[in-house]
Amino acid sequence: VNRPKLALFEQIMLPHLDAAYNLARWLTRNEHDAEDVVQEAYLRAFRFFDGFKGGDGKAWLLAVVRNTSLTWRRREQRTDRVPFDEEMHHTGQEATVEEGLADQAALAGLRDCMEALPAEFRGVLVMRELEEMPYRDIAVVTNLPIGTVMSRLSRARRRLEECIGGRRKATLR
Amino acid sequence: MTCEQAEPFMESYLDDELDASLRAQVQQHLATCHSCADAHGRQLAFGADIRSQGPYYRAPADLRDRVGAALRKGRAESPGAWRWLAIAAALLLAVSLAWNLSLYATRARGTLVADNILAGHVRSLMGTHLLDVPSSDQHTVKPWFNGKLDYSPDVKDFAAEGFPLIGGRLDYVDGRSVAALVYQRRRHVINLFTWPYGGAANQEQLRRNGYRAAHWNNAGMTYWAVSDLSAAELMQFVNLYRR
Repeated sequence: VNRPKLALFEQIMLPHLDAAYNLARWLTRNEHDAEDVVQEAYLRAFRFFDGFKGGDGKAWLLAVVRNTSLTWRRREQRTDRVPFDEEMHHTGQEATVEEGLADQAALAGLRDCMEALPAEFRGVLVMRELEEMPYRDIAVVTNLPIGTVMSRLSRARRRLEECIGGRRKATLR
Repeated sequence: MTCEQAEPFMESYLDDELDASLRAQVQQHLATCHSCADAHGRQLAFGADIRSQGPYYRAPADLRDRVGAALRKGRAESPGAWRWLAIAAALLLAVSLAWNLSLYATRARGTLVADNILAGHVRSLMGTHLLDVPSSDQHTVKPWFNGKLDYSPDVKDFAAEGFPLIGGRLDYVDGRSVAALVYQRRRHVINLFTWPYGGAANQEQLRRNGYRAAHWNNAGMTYWAVSDLSAAELMQFVNLYRR
């Protein structure tokens, strides 16, 4: 291992570990897979570190995390007996309301609705709302034009609102 | 700017992605148009909902070490070897929780008001009741409280410093009606609660459920600023207000 290069890499990239894990966790929807993805992403990022031209290490790293998550997802879908299905996942709503804790129901509702979003919407929303990244950086991570980032974000928010609205109605019934 | 002209820019305004001139135009429109200001308030509250309820998953305590080890070896680590670290972390957490609980018990009275304040902040973000008087004009917000309270809150605007006033609201804290002034920092909402109180000029900060509250007394008034901002930015706001 090239020690000075590794030291520099860690100095720039390790501060973004939480951001890397958070994005991987949202994209894989599973903590164990997220840990594997993050490790793999850091290994990959180090291998390609010569291609890092300075600037925002966070966006650069998250681009690798996102790609690794997508590769992981494709691999899972090939080997998994039950292919992942947005609709199937969406119906897996546990009856949290019966526990009588409105706050917990709201929390689970919002999380479930975010997890039910298609992956490309979910990633953009997480980067904007939870990471508070500017459009420009999200465009770098997703390799999309800024206009596309904006429209995806807008659609993600609208879908999320619809999903939460639908759940509120279902709860009241 | 009309509503139709402002509409396409509302989301970028919300995300703080407009250039200075457009941002000023949208801000001006929001100051005069109640329905747009209301819609904007709802969108702000929705964003705050996502940030406070959509969990931010932090990396497990041992992941940093595992990544470091993997980088040195050139291949991924299995979690097994690091399990004891997780156990140690859990013990530490238990100890710190017990410590916090004991602190909590000794501060019961102040905590009651803090609970009120935090509940008020969360409530303001939940429904459609963030603003009774949506306005970025301090000379509109201050007189609005006339006749609704037996005191007149000190209303200031910090748009130039990046903390624009977006309006005010009546709230209920510690058994009385109080003024809540609402400010915005990027997509974060700050509620500033204030009412007359003859306490000592102490100052404290506390943190709960992802929210931060800063509290101080000054010239016969008590102040509570609540937000999901970072500690540094909340203090920046407090210092602006106290300036």
